[in-house]
Amino acid sequence: MSIAVKVQDIFRDVFDNPDLVIGEKTSANDIEDWDSLAQVNLIVAMEKEFGIKFTIAEVEPLQNVGDMISLIGRKVAD
Amino acid sequence: MNDYRFKDIRLHMKDSFRAEITEDMMDMFRRISGDDNPLHTESAYARSRGFAGKVAYGLLTSSLYSTLVGVYLPGKRCLLQGIDIVFSKPAFVGDVLTVSGEVSYLNDAYRVIEMKGRITNQDGVLVSRSKIKVGITDE
Repeated sequence: MSIAVKVQDIFRDVFDNPDLVIGEKTSANDIEDWDSLAQVNLIVAMEKEFGIKFTIAEVEPLQNVGDMISLIGRKVAD
Repeated sequence: MNDYRFKDIRLHMKDSFRAEITEDMMDMFRRISGDDNPLHTESAYARSRGFAGKVAYGLLTSSLYSTLVGVYLPGKRCLLQGIDIVFSKPAFVGDVLTVSGEVSYLNDAYRVIEMKGRITNQDGVLVSRSKIKVGITDE
């Protein structure tokens, strides 16, 4: 399963919406419940799913789902 | 009251305390919540439903998870962000509950921790278990 598909599953779980569809440009502006707590839940879920750890310096610049997927890809490759 | 900073927290760190469920607590919870369900307020009704007596409110016993994270671990710097609770067995007035928590995950980026919480009664019977998400304010 690709990183993007796993990330979508995480979004669906965190936002409790099995029909949620996200894309590379999806950002907090597009999902009403994507507040700061949801952001924390997303990051923690991604850490657990991919077996990685983020630093605040890595997550602060993230602008959209595409940025998240790229970051995960780099960390998984390390 | 404990006052752990995020840097003080370690995976598998634990703490616990005990509390007795009293009639006063049941009465206060009823007044706060407005939950007059006779399962919690009438012994005869509770027994007719197959329980030993008035059942302690699940969210009353669960309020002790607030004490766990707000007073014990991490304590003063705690910001409760979320809690999932599963109720296993009922508790009753007079029960002495042991509330325990163990750190199960740390997220460095946002300084949040996850804890597994458990409440058991004086006989070691599991009353509830929980997954608790807590932020820690360092400032």
